[in-house]
Amino acid sequence: MTADMRRSPGPSPADPRVVGGLDYSIDHHVPGAWHLRLVRSDVAAGRVVDIDTTGVESDVTIITPADVAAYGTFGCQIADQRVLAAEPKFAGDPVVAVVAPTPEAAREAAASIQLDYDEAHGVFNEFEAATASAPLVHTSHASASGDAAYFAMRPLDGTNVCHRFRIRTPELRGYDEPELIRELPPLDDATMSDAFAGSDIVVEETFRTPAAAHVPMEPHATTAQWVDGRLEVITGTQTPFNLRQDLAALFGLDPADVRVVAPAMGGSFGAKTFMRTEAITAVAAAFTGKPVRCVLDRDEVFSEVTRHASTVWMRMGATREGRFVAKQMVAYVNTGAYADCGPGVAQKLGYAGVGPYRFDHVAVDSYCTYTNLPPAGAFRGYGAMQSAWASERLVDMLAGELHIDPVELRRMNLLRDGDAFCTGEIMHDTHFEELLDDAAKAVAWNDGRDGKGVAIILKGMQTPSRAEVAIHALPDGRFEVRSATADMGQGAPEALTRMAADVLGVPPEHIVVPPPDTDLAPYDTRTTSSRSTHMMSRALAAAADDLRANGTVGHGRIVNDGGLDPDTGTGVASSHWHQGAAAAHVDVDDETGIIDVRSLYATSYAGRVVHRAAAELQNEGSMIMSLGTALFEELTYVDGQLVNPNLSEYNIASALDGATIHHRLLETPGAEVHGLGETAVPPVPPALGNAVASLGYHPCRLPMTPERVLASRVHPRQEAP
Amino acid sequence: MKITLSVNDRSVDVDVAPSTMLVDVLRDELGITSARATCGVGLCGTCTVLLDGRPVSSCLLMAPLAIGKRITTVEGLPDDDAVVRCFSERHAFQCGFCIPGMVLTARDMIDTGRANTPEEIREGLGGNLCRCGCYVKIVDAIEEAAR
Amino acid sequence: MSWHMPTTVDEVLRLKASKPDATVVAGGTFLGLVIRQGLLDSDEWISLQNVDELRAFGTAGDLSAGAMVTHRRIETEPAVRRDWPGVAEAFGVVASPRVRNVATIGGVLADADYASDPPAMLVASRAVAEVASVRGMRRVPIEELIVGHYETELDDDEIITRVLVPRPTGSAAYRKLRTRSREDRPAVSVAAVRETGGVRVVVGAVSDRPRHYPDICAEWRPGDEQSTREVAAAYADRIPCLDDGRGSAEYRRQVVSVEVRRALMQVSR
Ligand SMILES: Cc1cc2nc3c(=O)[nH]c(=O)nc-3n(C[C@H](O)[C@H](O)[C@H](O)COP(=O)(O)OP(=O)(O)OC[C@H]3O[C@@H](n4cnc5c(N)ncnc54)[C@H](O)[C@@H]3O)c2cc1C
Ligand code: FES
Ligand code: FES
Repeated sequence: MTADMRRSPGPSPADPRVVGGLDYSIDHHVPGAWHLRLVRSDVAAGRVVDIDTTGVESDVTIITPADVAAYGTFGCQIADQRVLAAEPKFAGDPVVAVVAPTPEAAREAAASIQLDYDEAHGVFNEFEAATASAPLVHTSHASASGDAAYFAMRPLDGTNVCHRFRIRTPELRGYDEPELIRELPPLDDATMSDAFAGSDIVVEETFRTPAAAHVPMEPHATTAQWVDGRLEVITGTQTPFNLRQDLAALFGLDPADVRVVAPAMGGSFGAKTFMRTEAITAVAAAFTGKPVRCVLDRDEVFSEVTRHASTVWMRMGATREGRFVAKQMVAYVNTGAYADCGPGVAQKLGYAGVGPYRFDHVAVDSYCTYTNLPPAGAFRGYGAMQSAWASERLVDMLAGELHIDPVELRRMNLLRDGDAFCTGEIMHDTHFEELLDDAAKAVAWNDGRDGKGVAIILKGMQTPSRAEVAIHALPDGRFEVRSATADMGQGAPEALTRMAADVLGVPPEHIVVPPPDTDLAPYDTRTTSSRSTHMMSRALAAAADDLRANGTVGHGRIVNDGGLDPDTGTGVASSHWHQGAAAAHVDVDDETGIIDVRSLYATSYAGRVVHRAAAELQNEGSMIMSLGTALFEELTYVDGQLVNPNLSEYNIASALDGATIHHRLLETPGAEVHGLGETAVPPVPPALGNAVASLGYHPCRLPMTPERVLASRVHPRQEAP
Repeated sequence: MKITLSVNDRSVDVDVAPSTMLVDVLRDELGITSARATCGVGLCGTCTVLLDGRPVSSCLLMAPLAIGKRITTVEGLPDDDAVVRCFSERHAFQCGFCIPGMVLTARDMIDTGRANTPEEIREGLGGNLCRCGCYVKIVDAIEEAAR
Repeated sequence: MSWHMPTTVDEVLRLKASKPDATVVAGGTFLGLVIRQGLLDSDEWISLQNVDELRAFGTAGDLSAGAMVTHRRIETEPAVRRDWPGVAEAFGVVASPRVRNVATIGGVLADADYASDPPAMLVASRAVAEVASVRGMRRVPIEELIVGHYETELDDDEIITRVLVPRPTGSAAYRKLRTRSREDRPAVSVAAVRETGGVRVVVGAVSDRPRHYPDICAEWRPGDEQSTREVAAAYADRIPCLDDGRGSAEYRRQVVSVEVRRALMQVSR
């Protein structure tokens, strides 16, 4: 529980979140702070040739790219971004910063600045960006040295591909292959013909997903100030320590001289990870010698960071009896102007697209390409959504060709304990079959399957990673749990409180969990990929042991080793697996293409549940978000300009849209704690897609707008197999 | 222009331009942070306040339009408000950013007798969006508070 | 900068005549939006909030709604629900209760956004606006009032004071088709109102203003499927549909024929 409660505790105290008593980043005011506004590029590519500031009042500080040229580049996996862009790479790229005593003055100053450009041709589609003739978004590739660059980069020089991830199961290695595979090679291609030789039926298709917006309700809000040569940043972030590292590198400081405090966030979903507005805010604070506050407008939030658009070619072969033989996938993810964690997304998309199945042979090529769109970064589901859409739709296509029930076909091929995944790692603690059966039952699969669809996925956890926590015994007998696990609404403080109470054997009221502060908390990789609860439960147990042994302070540190070879995909993709399934039952209006969701169900493996309400909310929230992904969420760009940067034109799901969801947490007594933050995200779109497909449509592209559904009509309703 | 507003039964004088939206007056002039401008276009409801008891979007309400009306934010609800209690007990929140707006909308729904079934409650939540997706528990909490 | 709060229509009209550039504020929902987007700032504002005459409401003969009557009132008033169910329906599907609590009938008509719900229904219902200025009062059918997207034929010194909707003599249907969230504005909307000797079909949200084609409506034979389809197809052919985030012109054309047919079937009964 957060200490900050503005109401007197009564018999049943109001939760501070309910009565507006919790301070988010946006509510933090440092006295005397000045206000930052960014002047952003109108063009998607080019060079700024003139900055006219004649209309700006004299008490306003103006910062131009030339002023910050001495600062290096930053970026969590590839250091490709500058504090301000002299050569903007997307429409919305910050070019000039203005800092003024009031928000209004800053806004006015920003509006009066005129930029002149030498505009260049941009490239916007992830796939076209990889063609030889495409203009280069970045002329050279550079890797980052920070902790978020946890695997070797494979940039393809002279192209927009900043990372290529491959999986080749043993028998597919050693062939001489082109560096860049442009699309699914024909089946008689030497490398693959052997792999598919044992298949009686081969299906293939191209699948697409669009860029999408996280829409955290609270915008990005950052305050930075310099105190005695140290940088202090208060900002809503999921990654306080990564941020500290990147800021220290930018300013040439010892990381210990950067302090990042992360108050509770009004939602993030990946939008508040790594360096966002913190770099320019800190620079502005250095320039003005004052605390500086930066709060983005809603339209700016829409372009601050997005979800990777993707194009996925996929092919699967099986025997007549339905045994999966081989899978091949070529995927392009659109990381926009700056790589952010795009290389990691390409990797996760790559192995998640194989799905929870056994194959004799797997070949995956997953490319992360630059384009002149806003940067794409971490997004709930992290690549798994994009490739599960392809993979699970393709399984249903295969089932259709084979005339085998889609649930049966999946069951025959699911990974079970002891099976090897395509990475070579041996699966353990698998629950796929149970999840699949549960999902099928939820839509009464056996009572006719018109309008019904299922999907099942696996999703990795951030690996390698480490987590640390410290437990301090307070003089009053309570315990303070210090960690960098950020609170973005997932109930982290509550979960930490309960787990700590549990390992210490004290009541939850005796536990205090302050917000993450890098000056106090021990190092943690980050609050991403639903790993915190899992890692923290283990770290807390270790810390409690240490505390018992050593008196007043206990440290717990958990390290997860692993990682994948970028050229073969061998290694440990994940130290444990998020496993989930979904089922949908829909009607489609065959004249308007409108999908009516009669019921939507998701079932996720939870292991042991720490905080039931919070766990349920994670599952429900994932489903609701993914429902929007499936049906209507899409950022629309015309020549690189975003045309729907507001909630009237970019709809998110409402209470009415989500009226028919149900779900379940699959628990195993005594099992490990499993993260649940994203598990229900990837299976929802393909479950809905398969349900729509069962009525005679062939949706391959998200979102499934009524218009696309109508256009995907195969033929008048066909009999289901 | 100088205007007098009644906020949570307190009369306050503020000096604002007519085109200032009520949410900005509440936050910047009065320090009431439970009303939050998220979408700024009337769609999401995080800026909901009650105006003479009826929910409105304070992000779109020019401040002078509130002259002579009672403005209620979540801070102005009684300590033992049933909606607040049910939201807390049922853990009907994640990040909480949307919740004060939900609570006020629910208050009106219950006061005007339009919270009788889950369907009616979902209709009534029209325009109150929760990106964390807490609708199931929010609807449950309102149903319980209405009883 | 001034904010005027007149209390009578006469006062409003005099103010408006002396300050033709002043912005009239009704519920302020549309204005709030454009102000926030930085598209409008004004030195003079005339608020209609305190003009009680403009809230007058009657259902004795025609439905008579002063310009400041809110969507919520029209939607929930029992007499409107009973006697003008189509009108109640069209106002009831606008945005959210929160917007409907403040948005006014005068505002939605003066605003003339192509993606609004009420205008199509009001045109189909033969509604008439009373429009006043210091020069006098005139009655303008809604069909003529809205001339394009954000365009009305109001003069600078005029305001809408009242809207009159005749009592229906037959059934009515309002169909709002949304292509994204359940809370979206319409991609296609169809209002159909039966009257003695015929029907008025009006299609909204697909082009710059509500579209009504009396010559096509005249071909309709109630209950006859063939003529129903023909009327629907003719509407789809004639309307110059536009493209936006809610649907392409091609999709809209396709759906207009479906939704007009369905609306006609609803009012055949
Ligand atoms: C979030 C949101 C969702 C919406 N969704 C829908 C929807 O689904 N369907 C739909 O139909 N509409 C929708 N709307 C539009 C909404 O209906 C209009 O904003 C509203 O009707 C305008 O009424 P108002 O009283 O607030 O007008 P105001 O904002 O006060 O005024 C609108 C315009 O009309 C002028 N004006 C107002 N009254 C008069 C008068 N009496 N005489 C002359 N001029 C006048 C004003 O000067 C201004 O130019 C939505 C709006 C919002 C904010
Ligand atoms: S901020 Fe007012 S409705 Fe969204
Ligand atoms: S609880 Fe986070 S937006 Fe509703």
